[in-house]
Parts: sequence; C-alpha cells; structure tokens
Amino acid sequence: MATIELRGLRRTFGSVVALDNLDLDVHSGEFVSLLGPSGCGKTTALRIVAGFEWPDAGEVLVNGRDVLGQPANKRNMGMVFQAYSLFPNMTAQHNVEFGLRVRKESHEKRAKRARELLELVGLGTAMDRYPRQLSGGQQQRVALARSLAIEPSVLLLDEPLSALDAKVRVQLREEVRRVQLELGITTLYVTHDQEEALSISDRVAVMSDGRVEQFGTPAQIYNGPRTAFVANFVGTMNRLEGTVVSSEDRVVRCGPVMLSVPDPTFNHPAGETVELFVRPEDISLELLSNGNKPAPGLFDGRVTSLTFLGPVTRVGLATDLGPLLADVSSAVALDLAADTVVAVRLDSTALRSIAR
Amino acid sequence: MAEVTSVAETRPSSHRFRRARNRVPVWHLIWLVLAALVFIVPIYSVVQFSLTGVQAGQSPFHWYLTVFDDPMFRSSFWLSIQISLETVAVSLVLMVPTVFWVHLRLPGLRPVMDLISILPFVVPPIVLVVGLLPFLEKITWLFVRPEVLSLIYVIFALPFLYRALDAGLRAIDLRTLVEAAESLGAKMPRTLLRVILPNLRAAIIGGSLLTVAIAMGEYTVASLLEFSTFSVYTYTIGTSTAYEGVALSFISFIFVWGAMLSLYLLGRGGRNAAAVAITH
Ligand SMILES: Nc1ncnc2c1ncn2[C@@H]1O[C@H](COP(=O)(O)OP(=O)(O)O)[C@@H](O)[C@H]1O
Ligand SMILES: [Mg+2]
Repeated sequence: MATIELRGLRRTFGSVVALDNLDLDVHSGEFVSLLGPSGCGKTTALRIVAGFEWPDAGEVLVNGRDVLGQPANKRNMGMVFQAYSLFPNMTAQHNVEFGLRVRKESHEKRAKRARELLELVGLGTAMDRYPRQLSGGQQQRVALARSLAIEPSVLLLDEPLSALDAKVRVQLREEVRRVQLELGITTLYVTHDQEEALSISDRVAVMSDGRVEQFGTPAQIYNGPRTAFVANFVGTMNRLEGTVVSSEDRVVRCGPVMLSVPDPTFNHPAGETVELFVRPEDISLELLSNGNKPAPGLFDGRVTSLTFLGPVTRVGLATDLGPLLADVSSAVALDLAADTVVAVRLDSTALRSIAR
Repeated sequence: MAEVTSVAETRPSSHRFRRARNRVPVWHLIWLVLAALVFIVPIYSVVQFSLTGVQAGQSPFHWYLTVFDDPMFRSSFWLSIQISLETVAVSLVLMVPTVFWVHLRLPGLRPVMDLISILPFVVPPIVLVVGLLPFLEKITWLFVRPEVLSLIYVIFALPFLYRALDAGLRAIDLRTLVEAAESLGAKMPRTLLRVILPNLRAAIIGGSLLTVAIAMGEYTVASLLEFSTFSVYTYTIGTSTAYEGVALSFISFIFVWGAMLSLYLLGRGGRNAAAVAITH
C-alpha cells in the first residue's frame, strides 16, 4: 500500500486561488476525506494527485516519490468521478476489463478479475448490462470496480455519490467504506457532505479557500473544531459572544450568565471578548412550572421554532444570550409549543472556545 | 347491492374518459395528410410519368431498361460513388480528430469553429469555386482528375459534418470519458479508437450520409469542371429525353433512400456489433 503526501500545493486560475499552500499526509491504507464547501479547491487537489491538473508550486509524493513528472496514464491510480463516466459502448464487465486490456492481461485473467470485482460491489449478476441499463448507483458501483481492477496504488474519489438520491447515497457510502477496508487501499475521498465525510473516514481534512483548516479524526473534528470555520461548517453550532471575567478560572460572562470554559489551554486576559461554541445536543431544556424562575446556573428561553428531525426535535430559542438551537428528545418536545418559556441548561463541559 | 350499483355507475364514466383521451384531434390528421401529400405527390408523379410514353409491345419499364443499358449511366454512376466515398474519407480523417481536439483541449475555439463551419452556407458554392479555380488550375495533375471534385465537396460538406460531430460530442461527457480512460492507463489513440469513436457512431454515420448526398447531387461545379458525374449525366439526359431523365431521377431517389436506410440500420444494429468487435 501507499502513502500520499501533498506539500505546499498552490494552484491559481487567473486571479482565483484554487489551492493556497495545501499540505496533507495520508497514511498507508488510510481513508481520508477532503471536506469543504463548493469552490474550496477539493476537486483541484484531487485532480493534481490524479495527474489531470498541475500545481503552480508544491509537490505530490506517493510512497515518498514525486509523481508530478508522470502523466495520468502512468500513475496507476484508481479514479471515480462525480459525473457518470462508464464507457457507454461497453458492458459492465468490459468497462471493468478496460484497464486490464490496456495492460495486456490474458482473456481469462481479465474475465476472472472483472467477475470478482463486480461481485465485490454487489453487481455479479449485472455483468452483461450496458451503462444505460444500470441505475445511477449501479453505474457508480461499476465505476468503483473498474477503478480497482488495475490494482491501483491509491484510490481517488471525487464526490462519487453526489448525483444519487439520499437513500442510495447513504447505502453506497457504507459500501465504499466496506470495500476500502476489505482491500486496505489508501483512499482520498472528496465531498462537501460533512455527514458523509465524518461517517466513513479515518481522518477528515476540512478545507476552506484552498487551505486545510483542520485535519483530524471525525471525533476530533466534531468535538474539537479549532477554527470558527470548522465549527460552523461541521455539524450545527451555537455561537456565543462573551467577555472574559477571570483569566485563571476561565470564566466568561455571556449576557447575564457566567460560564466556565473547560479547555485548559484557554488563555485570555480579563476583559477580552471571546467566541464560544456549543452544539445543540449539549443544551438541555427544563419545563418551568408557571411563573417560577430557573434554578441557579440556568437561564430562561422562549421557544421560537420546533423542527422535527425524527428522534430529536430542534428547538429554536430566544434567550438573553441571543438565539440558540437546542436538540431535545422528540418525546420531550411534545410538551413544547411556540412561546413556551423554558429553563435552558448549558453543559459547560461541552463549551468550546476558539481564539479569534 | 350498493357496491354493484357503484360499479355500474363508475364504468361508463371511466370509459368515456379513456375515449376522450385517445381521440386524435382532427387538425392533427389534416396536418399529417398534408405532410404526406407533399412527399408522396411528387414521387407518384415521377413514377407515373416514367411509365408513360412507352410504345405498344414494349415493357412498361422501357425507360428504366434504356437507362440501365446506357454505358454512360454506369460510368457516371460509379464516378459519383467514387467521388462520394473519397469525399467522406477525406472529410472524416480531417474533421474527426480536429473536432475531438477542439472539444477536449480548446473549447474556447468552438465559437470560431462554428463560424468557420457556416462559411460554406454563407458564401454561395459557385463563388467559392470561382475563387478557388485560379489556384486549382496551377496544380495541373490534380485539376484534371475527379479527385479535385472530392476536395471541393469536402468544403461543401464541412458544415454538415462539423455540425453532426459537434452534436455527437456534446451528447457525451467527453472530458470525463477521456480522463477515465487515461486513469486506467490508456494512451490517446486507444481512447479515441475504443472509447470515443464507438460513441460517435451515430454522428459519424449521419454526417457521412449528408456528405454522400451532397457529393452525389452536386451539379454546378461538376459541370463547370466538365466531369461527367451522375448529376451532370442526369441533367444531360433530362434535356434530351424527358422520360429517361425522369426514370433516372427516380433511380437516384431509390438509391439515396436505400443508402440512408441501410446506414440507419447499420447505426441501430451497430451498437452491440461495435461492442462485440471491440472486445474480441
Ligand atoms: N479549469 C478551471 N478554470 C478556471 N477556474 C477553475 C478551474 N478549475 C477550478 N477553478 C476554480 O478554482 C476554484 C476551486 O475549484 P474546485 O477545485 O473545483 O472546487 P471544489 O471541488 O471544492 O468545489 C473555484 O473557484 C473554481 O471556480
Ligand atoms: Mg468539486
């Protein structure tokens, strides 16, 4: 298996900076996602690795060796495209065999390998179908099998599921991951869907404006966003603005509420304005019996919206800290209605501070 | 009891509904008949006319037989076929790689190509030829050979072939297909031959067909350069003996129609045939 290292990649299109000093290390056998909003340079980075695009500066090392001098057809990399890319004039089997034919493999070996791979992606019975006879999801499965047929050193996927409908997308992403684990192939996966990236990757590189904002495991990215961009892009975050009251005790005043920040590295002088983030699932609500004040440490909020999300309901609140979103179990939410006043509890161990 | 009644009640209405939906509006039919007449009447008149004027005792197909017996018919016909095939060959060799390359690597040039390709539409053929003549006359060895017509017809056919290929390339995701083939290790010639051309089959056949039709039917330049092509021959016969001329035009109509049909069938049946040819 192979490692991939991107070193200081820079690519501009006229005045547009698509990649701005991009660094990334992918370990052997690892599944790494490039996650970011549309236009942040994910495709450009992947195409540079594949050999369809060249950087203005920087290098791409595979197993420690610079591959930028090699044309795409010499790099032996598997690529699955966002657009449907099967050859329309060939059956699924012959699509999968194409790369082996280029490599002058024998007829028997090609057929055997095509069958194995199509079975691996669950299409053993559709070998003789033409692309037009396959659904979008099936076409992408064949495309995956085709890219794996050449025993590539690395697998590159550029939003391979974005054209599929939600249900197929979820099913297929798990299958991509299963196949990747089964073969242990080093994989670079591009997506703008954070849920997709978090659910199937070993590590996620969150990108913005041609740079990697944060690179870490899904849990690290989700629980410890290091920049405001990551905090806002990955999952849903409440943003609070506060003033540091005590530097040693890490106490911040947000409106009428005092919050203590758990992060030991939090180091701001008293009086400074800081940003704090907290996820909706870390805010809980308690019903107030008529006219009662919230218990100490809690503050009151007025329900402004209720969005049913299945197991949880997302509650919009107007509070003295500004608008907040809280996820409560849908059973609990049955007791809520617009304008209900509730006591809001902020789990302060879940507070995240991000230096500005 | 209530159920029976309700079924009896719903039936006629659903029946009426179906009938109303299936009825073809009258003006649709009128339109269809008018269109059919435009095609059928001239052909019918041609056939009708070509079977008249025959003397008693002669075959009703007398004029056709006369035409087939004329050695000039055969030689002019073969000359035109030869010129047509040459025109198609030169046009394809010239245009397929060019249009492919422009689409793939120089998409910015597409408007320019569009513009160039309509020039033969805008500039009347005769103007083009008169402009070309002094230049062609200098290449004496070429000027006296029928190949010179092929070269001129390549220009005439250019817009049609270009448009067919352009549409064909637009219909496929060219860049993705080429990159997919490249990532699998293929070099450009293989990609073009095995991946792109098979998917341009319909466009190539369509464009070639139009090219053949143009090369077979062109009269002005052929007669100006004094080549006895099929259309020049047809015109000459038509001016001397009207019956034979009309029989001749019906023959050429059948020929072109037959050619179209066989190419169409080739194009339809060809999908799987092409796949088989490529994989074995
Ligand atoms: N071939 C190109 N020509 C001009 N601009 C390009 C080209 N490819 C990408 N860009 C620009 O570079 C930026 C990054 O693009 P891309 O890598 O496709 O982003 P992503 O895949 O993250 O959506 C965008 O602003 C895009 O418009
Ligand atoms: Mg992209």
